Amino acid sequence: MATTYRRTPTKAELRRQRMEELINFPLDWVEERSGLVGGVRYFLFRNVPSDINWMQTLGSAALTAFLVQAITGVILAMYYDPSASTDPHTGKPVAWESIVNITDHLTMGWLVRGMHKWGASVFIILMFLHMGRVFLFGAYKYPRELNWIIGVLILVMGMMEGFTGYLLPWDQTAYWASVVGINLNGTAPFLGPWLAQFLRGGQEISGETLTRFYSLHMLVIPGAIIALITLHLYLVIRLGVTSPPWSKDAAGMEPEEAEADGRRAGLTRPVPRPAGASAMQAEPGGRE
Amino acid sequence: MEPEQPSPDTEHESLHEEPHLPPPTLWPIGFAIGIVVVLVGLVINPELISSIGAAIAIVFGVLWARDATAELRGESLVVEPERRQMKEAGDGMTAPPADQQGVALPPVDPSTVTRSRFLEGATLGLGGVIGGLITVPVAGFALLPSFLGQKQHKVDLGPLSSFPLNKWFITTFIVDPAEGEVSRRTAFIRNNGVVSTTDPKTKQTTQQPSFTIISNHCAHLGCPVQANGPTSDILKQPIVVEHTANGRVELNPVVPAGYGCPCHGGQYDTEGNRTAGPPVRALDRFDFEVDNGRLILLSTYSVSHVVGTGAQAKIHKYQESGPGEHLDGPEQWFYPLQPPHH
Amino acid sequence: MAAIPKEKPSRTDEARAEFARYKADVKARGKPFYPYAMFHDTIMSVFVVVVIVSLAVIWKWTAFGPHHDPLHKGLLGGEVAQPADPGTTSFVPRPDWYFYFLFYLLRIFKWPESVFLGTIGIPTIALVLLIMLPFLDRRRVRRPSARPVAMVAAVLTIISMGVLTWKGATAKEALASEIKQDIPNWVKAEHLPPGALPGARLFASAGCTNCHTYNGAGGSQLGAPDLTAIGTRNLGVPTQIRHLQNPGSVTPGSPMPSFASLGPQRLRQLAVFLEASKGGK
Repeated sequence: MATTYRRTPTKAELRRQRMEELINFPLDWVEERSGLVGGVRYFLFRNVPSDINWMQTLGSAALTAFLVQAITGVILAMYYDPSASTDPHTGKPVAWESIVNITDHLTMGWLVRGMHKWGASVFIILMFLHMGRVFLFGAYKYPRELNWIIGVLILVMGMMEGFTGYLLPWDQTAYWASVVGINLNGTAPFLGPWLAQFLRGGQEISGETLTRFYSLHMLVIPGAIIALITLHLYLVIRLGVTSPPWSKDAAGMEPEEAEADGRRAGLTRPVPRPAGASAMQAEPGGRE
Repeated sequence: MEPEQPSPDTEHESLHEEPHLPPPTLWPIGFAIGIVVVLVGLVINPELISSIGAAIAIVFGVLWARDATAELRGESLVVEPERRQMKEAGDGMTAPPADQQGVALPPVDPSTVTRSRFLEGATLGLGGVIGGLITVPVAGFALLPSFLGQKQHKVDLGPLSSFPLNKWFITTFIVDPAEGEVSRRTAFIRNNGVVSTTDPKTKQTTQQPSFTIISNHCAHLGCPVQANGPTSDILKQPIVVEHTANGRVELNPVVPAGYGCPCHGGQYDTEGNRTAGPPVRALDRFDFEVDNGRLILLSTYSVSHVVGTGAQAKIHKYQESGPGEHLDGPEQWFYPLQPPHH
Repeated sequence: MAAIPKEKPSRTDEARAEFARYKADVKARGKPFYPYAMFHDTIMSVFVVVVIVSLAVIWKWTAFGPHHDPLHKGLLGGEVAQPADPGTTSFVPRPDWYFYFLFYLLRIFKWPESVFLGTIGIPTIALVLLIMLPFLDRRRVRRPSARPVAMVAAVLTIISMGVLTWKGATAKEALASEIKQDIPNWVKAEHLPPGALPGARLFASAGCTNCHTYNGAGGSQLGAPDLTAIGTRNLGVPTQIRHLQNPGSVTPGSPMPSFASLGPQRLRQLAVFLEASKGGK
């Protein structure tokens, strides 16, 4: 060691060293106090199967679409006015006017509202495609059953976002789609009429329905979606992503799976418990 | 340390390592039902049903509390000091470290209340108190206003002379001027003329005006039903606009052959009976009264079907129900209890 | 764990073993998420954001960019529809596109007894099946070729959802204002004489097209016959009037309601129009 340290570092090397310290200091500071840096490092550098393909980007694409919705939604909430009362000067509903104002008069308002409006459709489509991919890959099977259920719940919540958000512009399509949607729920046996009246905030659709849908659309359901997505991602990281089932090199597959007797051979191996499994234990007669 | 070797004090350690979950119990379900009955009762009949609900909740709550605290109540609620009698404490007088062999603490009688058990019970109980204090008002505030204080509004549609005998009008009006355009509604109205009715008891004959007033909300899922027939532009008759206590009222003359729904294709005849498509019953109607020669709309009611037409129509009348809900036939049992309407 | 060693490991044990192999394989032969997988994710996300922004831009520039009319419709629909009018007498409600399947499902169940199948029944069953999927299909095999039932079910679901969505998107209503604009086309296609015009206007506004189709317009879901060439049957104007007054007297058992309330003069106009409709021959 001492011999290699003989040479005095050049100025460039010193500067570089100082820069590294400068960058590392806050990271180390955070890591020492929270362990978060290690968590992010684990997330980024954890191994995934080497044969994953493009179809497996649909989940993160749906997440991106959700983030677009969250950001544009927060901005829209700054300008939107959820009031069904009539503007005495124009004779138009206040909520409808604020939507027209956002789209026509505010700088870039059309872009933010357009992204929110169309991002909603993109989000729903991506969730359906992602679900189709998981179905195709059989990725809902053990041990990922729970994550499938969480995913279905996110899809349902996403549809509910679509339903509650559709009313907010307070235009004809919005109003009557909500009438039908609420009455749909009202036909449920026993509690249906009560549920419908709760959603309307009374016997008829009124200004209270709008504020109620607004609260559900921007607080309650997004909160639930964020919580579910967090859980979904935690399980993805914990359980890993599956190889395409048709991959010749799929992770977890027995080497001779295709052959009829391959299965039997594979099962004579010791069966380690998943939690304690390590690379050494699991593949005594494996591919390596 | 050799984990394989069984340690005699494992079972005593478990006293401190594992949480004491209360034993499973069914009482909370009864308690929850009681709370639900209280909330429903507040809507329907605060004196009777809420009292029943409160009684259910209290009975099951007490049973639940007894169950949950059964462990604690095994003995009197005296909190024992954490210091305990020593037993086989090695060679010396002090307890050996817990990871060494030998019994550090004596077995505790399950019925005694230790400090940790008391704290556990207190934490759970206080947490429940917080939950209750927050849940009851918040849930009540979120739920009850939708059901309480549903007001009935009288809608002034103008003088009877605006409604010539046996002519139909598509009438739009504002139900509640305070709410404004949100409460604009549409009804199909026909003046059936004056009908003499004889009271069977007093044998007195009274002259009653008769109107057919049909709501335009489809009995399938509430879409705006349209009149099948020529309106003012084809009939070459003007749309009458009136300004009453309820604001702007519009009367559009129409000769309907029936009504059709633009959503899912339900069709009705002129009396509002379903003729085709998915509607589960006839169109709703409005009650009315005549006050000082003006037509006043009252609340809405639901109709299963109508026999006959105009003033002679026999209307099978029911309490107002939401669209898509059957009023008769076996399906009516799907909707046994209606939320309060005005 | 059973005390006697089993001949065959249980399905759970097999699944656990497979997952353990999976973990080991990934550890031994996988690649780090960053940058390999994340690179693909990022490209896809960029694509998604570009698509969203493009949709917004196309929506704006075709709908209301140069027009500044909030109600003008472009390639992707208008900026906003008319303000909500709870008392509307002419509006045709439609849901957002991803509820078209449900919308059309509701039109399929056109019998009062079956309404709640469409509103609550089928959607609830579908949702429960979706949630229960991992417990319905508990075999370990994941290759699509080895899961014929699942694949056929998936394809059928996709096809039916697609068809329902398409039917919902193209479902037209017989709205008087729209049908009336069609009248000049009828004159051309059917060679209608001028005398049939009042009847044509009446036909368009009296709700006939709620049940009947005419020259491609109107709704067919209630199963009423197409009237494009009704005149070729040469029933004669008096019969047509009698039929309109009391359909059952001409076609016994007809579910068509009476149109007598229109009055004799209008019924005659309607009958003349129907007799003149020869399907363009």
